[in-house]
Amino acid sequence: MDPVLSASKLTVGKLIEEMSSVLGIRSLSGATGLSTNLKSPDISRPGMALTGYTHKFQHLRIQIFGETEITYLTTLSSSDRISALRNVFDFPIICSLVTKGLTPPDELVEISSDSASALLVSPRDTTPLIHDLTDYLEEIFAPRDSTFGTLVDVYGAGVLCTGRSAIGKSEAVLGLLDKGHRLVADDRVYIRRIRGNLFGAGDTDHSHLMEIRGLGFIDVENMFGIRSTKERQQIHIEVRLLEWGRDTKNIDRIGIDRKTKGILGTEIPYIELPVIPGRNLALLLETAAVNALLDMRGISIPEQVESRLIERNKRNAGKNGKDGSL
Amino acid sequence: MIEGSAEVMNSLGIHARPAAQIVRTASEFDSRICIIFEGDSVSAKSIMGVMTLAASHGTILKVTADGTDEEDALNAILDLIKEGFGED
Repeated sequence: MDPVLSASKLTVGKLIEEMSSVLGIRSLSGATGLSTNLKSPDISRPGMALTGYTHKFQHLRIQIFGETEITYLTTLSSSDRISALRNVFDFPIICSLVTKGLTPPDELVEISSDSASALLVSPRDTTPLIHDLTDYLEEIFAPRDSTFGTLVDVYGAGVLCTGRSAIGKSEAVLGLLDKGHRLVADDRVYIRRIRGNLFGAGDTDHSHLMEIRGLGFIDVENMFGIRSTKERQQIHIEVRLLEWGRDTKNIDRIGIDRKTKGILGTEIPYIELPVIPGRNLALLLETAAVNALLDMRGISIPEQVESRLIERNKRNAGKNGKDGSL
Repeated sequence: MIEGSAEVMNSLGIHARPAAQIVRTASEFDSRICIIFEGDSVSAKSIMGVMTLAASHGTILKVTADGTDEEDALNAILDLIKEGFGED
């Protein structure tokens, strides 16, 4: 099971339950509107809508009543306050959240109750509250996918190892764990894209269980200790294990023509590794990971080799009195 | 065993990419294929070997092939060098 709550199950009540300790959110309206589903990871400041400008008003988002909105409302007479709030609550509102420990005007309490939408309060300042709330919501609303493979953290590089079943992914990863690297998920990896980066995690209940043919289930945490597992990891590279033969004829020999793979619209480096008897796959995966780390620091060995060779060829061409112009 | 020769036509000489092309092509044949330049002989199936030749534009490389498919192998490697690896 995907460890992250799916967006379709996120109700206002669930949001309070999950975020009450972080954001200090509580409901002022009892059970009203708690079963409403959240529709968007974004928030809305309804200030403009209160003044009557409702074009582009994002009524499907959480409405944040910060100091601006509340102060504006208190400058109005009670009847003007009601008509200002009507501008907003004539739309179906998911829920409203009053920040900074401010006291919502009575009219706001009544109107949200009449429209059956929850009225929440938090003692937190508006901007940091919005940041934390958005972080949480982005995770839940993030595009997601799942794939067959094994995800390991190798010196901080997230390596997604894929390949057809029984090719030796789990065995290779066992070798990595033995070297002190950390298992994130085996067999089924749940992937989410958050701010353009890919993050993987395993099944909530079985993430650190591996199945090794001939041995059955292995509990990685019991076997290698708590340091050998990790809940979640950014995916930096996919390494696909391929059977040696037909598919591997055009295998990369110098590593200069980089391949990438798109997952949920994000491109990550992609390597195909031929599996031949006698190859130490764990060592090769570790090498691929370190290479990826070097790449991330802007150090590309194949490109360095290539430019050195070209330089040397140019010098030699000059020495031989041949045309060395480029 | 048969042999032939070809001039390196591309302006950058044999750098990593052309070396990879030679090795990929050579590996398709069973014959033992060697490239000889200034007395050094390297296997055409070894990427490090081909790269270390440092064969620049205009040099003449000798190629030998030995095996059941030596004729096709020799021609394939010579064509690759003569065609400048698809480069300028």
